[in-house]
Amino acid sequence: MTAPCTVPFDCKKCLQACPQAVFLVTAVKVERGKETDPKEPGAYRLFAPHRDKCTGCNDCIELCPEDAITINFPPLEA
Amino acid sequence: MCWVCEAYGDPEVENGRWYLNPKNHSRNMYKIKKPDQKAAAYGSDPEAQSGRNIGEIMQFRFTDPDKFNQLIKEANAMKGSGPFQIGQVIPIQEAYKVVEMSYPVASMSCICRIHNRAQEERNEHEYSCTGLGVGMLKWERWPERYKGGVNFMAPDEAKEWLVKWNKKGMVHIIMTFGGSYVGGVCNCDYPDCGMIRNRVDYGIETGCLKSHWVAKIDYDLCTGCGVCVQRCQFGAIKFEVTLDKTNIDQLKCFGCGLCETGCPTNAIELIDRESLPGLREVW
Ligand code: SF4
Ligand code: SF4
Ligand code: SF4
Repeated sequence: MTAPCTVPFDCKKCLQACPQAVFLVTAVKVERGKETDPKEPGAYRLFAPHRDKCTGCNDCIELCPEDAITINFPPLEA
Repeated sequence: MCWVCEAYGDPEVENGRWYLNPKNHSRNMYKIKKPDQKAAAYGSDPEAQSGRNIGEIMQFRFTDPDKFNQLIKEANAMKGSGPFQIGQVIPIQEAYKVVEMSYPVASMSCICRIHNRAQEERNEHEYSCTGLGVGMLKWERWPERYKGGVNFMAPDEAKEWLVKWNKKGMVHIIMTFGGSYVGGVCNCDYPDCGMIRNRVDYGIETGCLKSHWVAKIDYDLCTGCGVCVQRCQFGAIKFEVTLDKTNIDQLKCFGCGLCETGCPTNAIELIDRESLPGLREVW
């Protein structure tokens, strides 16, 4: 990720589009008795816990308005 | 024998099924921290604790794969004596019994779908998870867990609601929240349910044990329509071209009964897992 995504729960494009369900979003600013606002920057964080299942289809990168996702596959051996 | 039943079942009650044993639904089982009292066996805050330990194992997947595999082996070998949430697939017939005996019963949003797909379930038409027991009376304490609130249901209402999700193709999984306290019946699918995914992809058994049942096809009644193949979340059914019928691999079957409830010719029945010698120890 170049600049980390700050509103994954509000945007959720990558989360819902990935055929491999690679991503996970979780609230990192939990307040007792109050729901976290999905639009508040930094209230949620995006993770890619199943990234070893990524096929490199690039759907998430094309959909991400923040350019927050990068994918690194080792280059083909010559 | 099912190790959860061995530990928490009562042989006199409902064939010893742990989740149909009223003791595991009782108010006393829900452990809340009281002043001057030491934290209970599985942590003082059962809801906050559940799932955390699996999360700790998952962290080693990329940093230390050997340790990751070792921790999974250890977690599986603990057979519920460890700090892990227990989950077991149950067919809808048993889910009915559970919502009859537990109080209160409420629908709520699914925590896995929030995490894995940022899927918001905002009202009773969207909620897809069932909370059981006194823990539900305190739902406001964990707003992130019960995002959008909860909807309390009478037993008949709860059954209709289970049917709705069963029709859509969700697997019912009975879950504990601290020790053997039965806290919910989840309606789950792969890959968005964390418990199913942890089991199917990574071999973590405790959160998604196979049910006490296993599916069996009557080849005389099966027309080979393929409905059951679509409904199986575990890849246990395939269309067998040679016989022009479908075939269930009972070693892969989790006994969820989705194929049984979907079959238009009633060609599938659920039989007792332990009636098959080869499946007695497959959980
Ligand atoms: S590139 Fe990988 S992470 Fe992105 S959508 Fe495709 S499979 Fe998912
Ligand atoms: S749904 Fe029933 S009739 Fe159709 S293929 Fe499956 S077992 Fe056969
Ligand atoms: S074969 Fe039927 S009972 Fe077995 S896991 Fe698949 S859908 Fe469930």
